[in-house]
Amino acid sequence: MVVGMTMTSAQKAQSLARVSLFAGLTDGSLGALAELAGEVEFSDGDSIVIQGQVGTGLFVLVSGAARVMRGSDELARLVPGEFLGELAVIDRMPRMATVFAVGPTTCLALASWDLFRQVDMDHDLVHSLLRGLALRVRQLSEQHSH
Amino acid sequence: MADTEELIDELAGLTLFADLSRPELAGVAHTLEEEWYAEGQRILREGLSGTGFYVLLEGEVSVRLGGDELARLHRGAFFGEAAILLGELPGADVVAAGRVRVVNLAGPAMKNFLMRHPNVMYRMLQEQTRRLRSANRWRR
Repeated sequence: MVVGMTMTSAQKAQSLARVSLFAGLTDGSLGALAELAGEVEFSDGDSIVIQGQVGTGLFVLVSGAARVMRGSDELARLVPGEFLGELAVIDRMPRMATVFAVGPTTCLALASWDLFRQVDMDHDLVHSLLRGLALRVRQLSEQHSH
Repeated sequence: MADTEELIDELAGLTLFADLSRPELAGVAHTLEEEWYAEGQRILREGLSGTGFYVLLEGEVSVRLGGDELARLHRGAFFGEAAILLGELPGADVVAAGRVRVVNLAGPAMKNFLMRHPNVMYRMLQEQTRRLRSANRWRR
């Protein structure tokens, strides 16, 4: 994992705007998140988060790909615009899966404490997180019923 | 019908409203409508519009899809918010299992309500996280 420095705040805001979790946020809210977001680069096979560890941040995939593994089961593949680690940010419980980079992968990382502070100040952000999680719950229940 | 003071006491005892002051709870009690349902009555219908946000005060409800029970909800649980947040139709039926008392907020009023009570929204976010974790646990 290497800390990248190539993205401007405007580019970060643009990447965050594509994420369903942040859909409908105002430019002001996106800009504030972009200022908090760090750019992180992973090599092929690096773990982005590790199952069982307490999460310290939310990651948004900017480029590359990732696989979500629980034990030896692959649960999902993630592509740019998707996110991971959002639950641990809210409930501070251990991560439910390990996520590995597939090929060179760049993420934006939002630290839990920064996101918490932002959530306190920005109620639109809470609303958009709530909506993003509702969407995930619905997608999961649709997977179950099909 | 419970008088307002009783309703405020009841709401105060629910996790969803745990962070609200007495005056805020009074505001919530005025905004929400109390409703009763008899055993077997559908509160939400899959695929049918006319949505609302509901908080369960008494009794149990069964969340059903195509005859299967997906979940059973108890006092303090809330439902109906996903369809409103997503601007979609309800994804399942919610049926009263016995006599049920709820408080209800019409769909279009929910966003305003949540923005006025961010602590309630944050409690919902925590509950949503818990649901997602338990859904994930069974996922293969």
